[in-house]
Amino acid sequence: MSNATEQTGPVINLIASLEESMLREAVGGIAGEYGPKYMLACADAGEPPVELWDALAEKGYCGVNLPESYGGGGLGMTGLAAVQEELALAGCTQLLLVVSPAIAGSILVSRGSEAQRDQWLPGLAAGTTRIAFAVTESDAGTNTHNLATRARQNAAGGWEISGQKTFISGVEHATHILVVARQELADGTLGLPLLFIIDVNATGLQRDLIPMALRLPDKQWTLFLDGVEVGEERLVGGTEGGMGALFEGLNPERIMAAAGSCGAADRALRTASSYARERKVWRTPIGAHQALAHPLAEAKIELEMARLMTRKASALYDAGYKGAGEASNMAKWAAAEAAVHAVDRAIQTHGGNGLALEYGLTDMWWGARLNKIAPVSREMILNYVAEHSLGLPKSY
Amino acid sequence: MKICCLVKEVPDAAVQKRIDAGTKRLDRSGERTLNPFDTHGIEAAMQIREGGAVAVDEIVAVTMGPDTAVRALHKSVALGADRSLHLSDPALSGSDVCATGYALAKALETEQPDLVLLGQQSDDGECYTIGAVVADHLKMPSLTQVIKMDVSEGKLVCQRQAEYGYDTVEIALPAVISVGDAINEPRYPSLKAIMGAKKKPLDTKGTGDVGIDPSQVGEAGSKTQVLGINPPPPKQSGEIIEDEDTNETVEKIVAWLEERKLI
Ligand SMILES: Cc1cc2nc3c(=O)[nH]c(=O)nc-3n(C[C@H](O)[C@H](O)[C@H](O)COP(=O)(O)OP(=O)(O)OC[C@H]3O[C@@H](n4cnc5c(N)ncnc54)[C@H](O)[C@@H]3O)c2cc1C
Repeated sequence: MSNATEQTGPVINLIASLEESMLREAVGGIAGEYGPKYMLACADAGEPPVELWDALAEKGYCGVNLPESYGGGGLGMTGLAAVQEELALAGCTQLLLVVSPAIAGSILVSRGSEAQRDQWLPGLAAGTTRIAFAVTESDAGTNTHNLATRARQNAAGGWEISGQKTFISGVEHATHILVVARQELADGTLGLPLLFIIDVNATGLQRDLIPMALRLPDKQWTLFLDGVEVGEERLVGGTEGGMGALFEGLNPERIMAAAGSCGAADRALRTASSYARERKVWRTPIGAHQALAHPLAEAKIELEMARLMTRKASALYDAGYKGAGEASNMAKWAAAEAAVHAVDRAIQTHGGNGLALEYGLTDMWWGARLNKIAPVSREMILNYVAEHSLGLPKSY
Repeated sequence: MKICCLVKEVPDAAVQKRIDAGTKRLDRSGERTLNPFDTHGIEAAMQIREGGAVAVDEIVAVTMGPDTAVRALHKSVALGADRSLHLSDPALSGSDVCATGYALAKALETEQPDLVLLGQQSDDGECYTIGAVVADHLKMPSLTQVIKMDVSEGKLVCQRQAEYGYDTVEIALPAVISVGDAINEPRYPSLKAIMGAKKKPLDTKGTGDVGIDPSQVGEAGSKTQVLGINPPPPKQSGEIIEDEDTNETVEKIVAWLEERKLI
């Protein structure tokens, strides 16, 4: 160690503090009262998981990462990730937790004006303001440079936003949406990306439900924005700082995706192990067959490594360290792979029951599989690591 | 009214229980947590406060245990206690139920509570008796396995779970009440309560501070001695009633239940 900064740098807590243990116990306990049955019932009824969200929000668990001065828990992404991991472990992952406190909350904390922080953060911390996040467009896909949603400034200083977004999660439960649009320049071409907070029921905004394989209560929507008007106070990060603000949301998003995958992997492995300890078709429980046991053991190792990387990413992010980007990407990648392997092996362990709806593993499958695609695909993470960690040439 | 809640730090339920062959005591290393039965006592105190029938000035969590037992106190405070008292002294190590009850009673004397609440059993020792021992030393009436409590000025009307049904008992305060887990569903703490727990007052006292006679506590002061430890005998297999004629089967089950005064 060569200097004081290094010696006092971010610490990865390998053993949960008393506060973290109590938080995990409380969140796990609350979620346990709802469980996957409740989530499926909401999904089938086309209703958002309002009761569970409100139960968490009432106790302060929806704004764990946000500063205490705004009514949050002050525990950073380390705390919010623990919440999502426990929810996923209980079969109750909340997509809105990813977009609202993690993405929108983190962006507002670091790039919002004082007035914006005062206006939005208390509601976000309390869970009463819920902000969805809309960046993806069908024609741009992973390439955000190709975004075509445009924002034109009017004479009064406000903005008019037009364009189309796709796969936007949780709009049905959100109060607002953080929309990424590009500034329309005087010559009609598109400039830098800008971030706007629009009302979920704004005039000029329409939405179409996208039928998805996922049986999650949080739905995905295509949004049509046709001249949606907002005042200048709804622009976050100014006309120059949109890209920077957008990037502020990416690491928290990845950490949350990683945490959700870790919880899901854990749930799958616990389900598989308990089944494999009981089910007997020959002389021994099926868990004694190494053909089943070893892949589960491998998945467990992958999970623990992903957990460690998620803790590292959270610790670096909370300390404002540069390495947070690399660690968040790696954590997201590792956790998504671990979850897919764990759920796949859990299905295999269950034989035919693995596909029976009663056992819930098929529902977990699409949730686990999703995280290899969104919020950032495994290929784009590998591109990032190849380029930034290994210095290899960019391919695109 | 001042309520003291006795709480204990116990090995986490997920940890496999093990007896240390050398000391013949429970191996309490590994993950520990607040005795889940005691959380019902704290919740009962909270409900008395919120019920409004009497004014509750203070809820104090009290424990006896090593340094690590502070975690159980922090948790108790997160669940609703206003402050806590930690009785901790190397001299107390190895105390049996009677010695522990005596030591806790001495600590409670310094608080002068109107009501002492505790879980009916601990998740590790499962003695069910601490409440009675404490009450004896404090010269207070005591009830065990209480699953309902109505409080009014100076007295409590309690329902306690008996072998065949429920007893309703009126008891004068101050009293020591050990509660069953059916009494309530402890609430989950809010994040604010969790984060604020370490900021609430915590007094640590040694044997000398509360007037404990050192010869009455610790291994030497304990009246019981563990001579040997054996696993419990295997359970006898239950009675199996074959269902040949359903009417007859029902009669047999009813007779079996009646014999035990279960119906
Ligand atoms: C359930 C769900 C919820 C979502 N929620 C939201 C939300 O709330 N808000 C939001 O804005 N978006 C959301 N999304 C969108 C998600 O972020 C995108 O689907 C994701 O970023 C991938 O973009 P795409 O679907 O356009 O894939 P494409 O960009 O079309 O990519 C297709 C494939 O090509 C690969 N690929 C692309 N470029 C490269 C390259 N250069 N090198 C190697 N491979 C490449 C990708 O990795 C992928 O495998 C959600 C998606 C899903 C499925």
